[in-house]
Amino acid sequence: MSTQAAIELIGLNKWYGAFQVLKDINLRVREGERIVVCGPSGSGKSTMIRCINQLEHHQEGDVLIHGEAFGQGPARDDAIRREIGMVFQQFNLFPHLTVLENCTFALIWVKHMPKAEAEALAMSLLERVRIPEQALKYPLQLSGGQQQRVAIARALCMSPKVMLFDEPTSALDPEMISEVLDVMIELAESGMTMIVVTHEMGFARRVADRVIFMDQGEIVEEAPPAEFFTAPRYDRTQLFLSQIL
Amino acid sequence: MSDALIFQPKAGKPAPPSTLGVVGWVRGNLVSSLPNAALTLLGAYIVYAFFSAVIGWAIVDAVWEAQNRRECLDLVGRAGACWPGVKAWIPNLIYGLYPKDQVWRINAGFLVLVLWAVPLFLPWVRSKVMIGLGLVLLYPLLASYFFHGGDKGLVWGALIALGLTGFLWSWLTAIAEARREAPLLEGRRRWILLAGLYAVSLLVVSQWVLDEVQTRLWGGLFLTLVISGFGITVSLPAGILLALGRRSRMPLIAAVSTTFIELFRSVPLITVLFMFNTMLPLFLPAGVEVNRLLRAIVAVCLFSSAYMAEIVRGGLQAIPKGQYEAAAAVGLGFWQSTSLIVLPQALRIMIPSIVGSFIGLFKDTTLVSIIGLFDLLSMARAVGEDTVWLGLFIEPFFFVTMIYFVFCFSMSQYSFHLEARLGAGQRR
Ligand SMILES: Nc1ncnc2c1ncn2[C@@H]1O[C@H](COP(=O)(O)OP(=O)(O)OP(=O)(O)O)[C@@H](O)[C@H]1O
Ligand SMILES: [Mg+2]
Repeated sequence: MSTQAAIELIGLNKWYGAFQVLKDINLRVREGERIVVCGPSGSGKSTMIRCINQLEHHQEGDVLIHGEAFGQGPARDDAIRREIGMVFQQFNLFPHLTVLENCTFALIWVKHMPKAEAEALAMSLLERVRIPEQALKYPLQLSGGQQQRVAIARALCMSPKVMLFDEPTSALDPEMISEVLDVMIELAESGMTMIVVTHEMGFARRVADRVIFMDQGEIVEEAPPAEFFTAPRYDRTQLFLSQIL
Repeated sequence: MSDALIFQPKAGKPAPPSTLGVVGWVRGNLVSSLPNAALTLLGAYIVYAFFSAVIGWAIVDAVWEAQNRRECLDLVGRAGACWPGVKAWIPNLIYGLYPKDQVWRINAGFLVLVLWAVPLFLPWVRSKVMIGLGLVLLYPLLASYFFHGGDKGLVWGALIALGLTGFLWSWLTAIAEARREAPLLEGRRRWILLAGLYAVSLLVVSQWVLDEVQTRLWGGLFLTLVISGFGITVSLPAGILLALGRRSRMPLIAAVSTTFIELFRSVPLITVLFMFNTMLPLFLPAGVEVNRLLRAIVAVCLFSSAYMAEIVRGGLQAIPKGQYEAAAAVGLGFWQSTSLIVLPQALRIMIPSIVGSFIGLFKDTTLVSIIGLFDLLSMARAVGEDTVWLGLFIEPFFFVTMIYFVFCFSMSQYSFHLEARLGAGQRR
């Protein structure tokens, strides 16, 4: 167990206008740790996870990635952000590029990797998410589950040290959820550091080291899944669990 | 569980025939009911009446050979068109007052343009973006000497050579890529090649002498194409920059862009042309003479950029925020995500409005006649003022209308074609 945290949020506060979305968030994620975040709608889960790679900017507190803080100028911030892969609820694939190009794009334009090498790497990751045969299609020709797996492959292409997932299965039909979760479970088992916002409690039980429950911009409770699901300490958590389980 | 029914999907049946034949289509769409049939008949009658009148006037009853308008009138009166007048004026309609013995230069200049653009349509050429950019940026340099000629100073000479280099480079690239010799054009060798090409071009240009043809002699279709060509090629990139500026988070840039856009959108083009023609010289230091054509071009460019900016802004707004976020999340910076992710998608959905704006611009150039430039339309008016063809107005206008129609219609057809091609795999 390394001493340095992969991700550290210290005293994070964020407001939208007068409305406080995040209230004094403190979170330490060790390398290789898998965190599942849950909570009611509007509780600030997306906002928190998006602060981690600074898609949203916070007003107070610090975000440290491998001990390094954001906010040292745009170039440095972009470099830190490259260590973090992100998968969105709405996939956000680039519709004008093929699946393969979606994956190689950043390798070529950001890492300046030769095209052939980038394509080989992308193909290996598309195999890992089990859709190499779709490489030359356009995203909108794929099913939701396939699109989401492409999005995972796209993020993995940049060899991130941390992966963030914001409700990766909420936009999917039930039949496709498991194909995406399977890929995520495999990723978790390979030792990737992951923060996953999801309401898939089966997934949480199976891979999470810790489950975090948020409400009204605060982290209410955090515990290992066994404890979290059987003996939640707060009434708010109990209520939430009784509603979704 | 063991006695569960086994679900056996049915085999698909072939789809029913989709077309019902001509008779079926006519029955279904033209005469499906009594009022519908009546409307069809009425419509057909209107189309027939219109076209038979036009064709009768323009072709059947028209006079094709005559020495002057009097002869035409004696032959058919006003029932038929008098084309000899237009025919006699065609060179002026197309080239304006450009000296007759120099007209080949315009033709050559446009031939170079077409040749330069050919590689863009060859399927095996991969550097299309570079060639296209080169064409837009460097062709005007080369064309300036074709069209204007005269004394080229050191700087202008160097620029003309740059244009020539661009032309040669485009074709060398196209040929090399056809023969898969791409390595020839990569890395350091490309720079050596370019330097060599430039040296050759400088040599050629230094030996190349054309007489000066002042821009006040430019006119007709040629002038229309020059002005609208500039307007079109400048307005798109300038519009993109202005639109990005207006959306910028930096207040100064946003304010400047917004002011510019709103200022030019709030006044008619005629006013802008007048402003530039009469007021600009007042602001310039005494002795600095800005060519009248140049003033018109600048005015048209600024005006159309402002319009284009709003079109582009609309397109940018249609791109979901998730695209920016996904681009940022894989590490793309602002310029990369804007130019490689957002703009390509935005431009594709903007094609109809962009081309619409180009077509509008092409037609708006007729307004430059106000400041004394002889574009296609003013040339058409001049036909009827010619003593030999006195009063011959309708025919040249008809002819000019046809020219405008051909150009604008081709533009809009090309835009449909582009839309269809770029839309591959992106229909939801
Ligand atoms: N751009 C914004 N401007 C103002 N308020 C916002 C903005 N984005 C989010 N909010 C508010 O911040 C709160 C937290 O939003 P957030 O998206 O983080 O919630 P969430 O926990 O991810 O919810 P969900 O489960 O619905 O995705 C919500 O009340 C939301 O209305
Ligand atoms: Mg959310």
